[in-house]
Amino acid sequence: MTVHIASVGMGRFGKRPESLVALATEAAQFALEGVGRKPIDLLVVGTMFAHGPHGREAFLPRLAGILGLESASGFRVDSSSGTGGMAFHVAAHALETGRFERALVVGAEKMTDRTTAENTKDLSASLHMSEVAAGATMPGLAAIVAARYLDRYHLTSHLCDVSTVHARAMAAANPNAHFQKPVTLEEAASSKPVALPLRLLHCSAISDGATAVVLEKGAGPATVLGLGQGFDALRIVDREELTSFVATRVAAKRAYEDAHLTRKEVNVIELHDAFSPFSMISFEDLGMCGPGEALEWFEKGWVGLNGRLPVNPSGGVVGRGHPVAASGLAEIAEVALQLRGEAGAHAIGSLPRIGLAQTISGIGSHNFVTILGREAA
Amino acid sequence: MIEVAGLELARCEACHSRFLPSDGPCPKCGSRDCVAYSTSAVGRVLVATELQYPATGWTAPHPLILVELSDGVRVLAIGDGPLPAAGALVEVRHDHEVYRARPEPSR
Repeated sequence: MTVHIASVGMGRFGKRPESLVALATEAAQFALEGVGRKPIDLLVVGTMFAHGPHGREAFLPRLAGILGLESASGFRVDSSSGTGGMAFHVAAHALETGRFERALVVGAEKMTDRTTAENTKDLSASLHMSEVAAGATMPGLAAIVAARYLDRYHLTSHLCDVSTVHARAMAAANPNAHFQKPVTLEEAASSKPVALPLRLLHCSAISDGATAVVLEKGAGPATVLGLGQGFDALRIVDREELTSFVATRVAAKRAYEDAHLTRKEVNVIELHDAFSPFSMISFEDLGMCGPGEALEWFEKGWVGLNGRLPVNPSGGVVGRGHPVAASGLAEIAEVALQLRGEAGAHAIGSLPRIGLAQTISGIGSHNFVTILGREAA
Repeated sequence: MIEVAGLELARCEACHSRFLPSDGPCPKCGSRDCVAYSTSAVGRVLVATELQYPATGWTAPHPLILVELSDGVRVLAIGDGPLPAAGALVEVRHDHEVYRARPEPSR
């Protein structure tokens, strides 16, 4: 059963005054308007915190009620920062069974009304509890991954600066991105240490935001060609290596096989750079270049809007902002916008035929790869 | 090198991989046929970093150290004392639910 993304709905990411439900409703309404409010028989939502003004709330039934979708079936999923990707895969698989006609998928998070320490603690729920007990946080473990990568390939933290500069340059062209101003290598390199080698501008920001898409049966300009996912050990000390994410490599292999194509046919990529070195690692894990070679692609501009293989035209997680459960779906939505010719100022140089989105959960424990294309498989 | 107390690890009887004890099966092959053994508590620092924004309950800067023991098993430990450089030798001890690493005792 072929399915395609029929419309995309996104509000601005950043510090927003609205509640979680209001942000989700805004994105959902944009997506529903995009299909002329055709009937929806499946609602899949993703949020990690389900954080309302009075604590955790019944996000799924509340949203279904506001949107008038009580007659639809519904699921709520959570895979930390990979939630949006997981929500999309759940909906796509459900439509592929033939049981449903049209799905609304929503990823949303409200974070900026909480302290950094509160967000840090809750985000640590995506890590192994024995490592959290030692005080590990997402940035702490990301710093360890980054340090191992830099050491293995004899690189310096300049790599992190290059990735951040790329992300912020792309985001500056995306009106929905959290950050609207580019930064320089010097600004990235002199920002406050978070956990060296990672500095503040190397880390994604705490943001509010939501993304929605409508998936429906049939082919279109953003047809789902391939879906893949992979796990890796939750406890990072159990991993074979730290300079690559096995979960991405497995997910990519499965997605390429599912789509019956190779990485050479991909024209645009959105990947999950929750921390700036992750863009390089993920680019390599997807097979786009050899291990330790990604820096050259970024430094030479080969991943720019008019480059050989544009990466993160939305600004990525570092530039677009990181409302955790919305990010994975925003990555897929951006690829759909590029394929549909609806990306506006952040459109890549020529209309792509095949696009790929990669989503990371936690520190790479459960990753998703989604391949979309202009033609049906 | 002076003698230091050993560290208890786990070994899989099916695939012979070695790992930190956990409540799960062997992380490599999934077998539950695993046994405890003791090894040297001295290891080499792979990464040492300081968290400037630790989670609630910890004080900044919070030292986090990835250590590789002599038989290849890795340990994520809280640093005790000055932050060691990558490549330095440290002594690891199990302290209730966590591991702690401190510079190797001098000869």
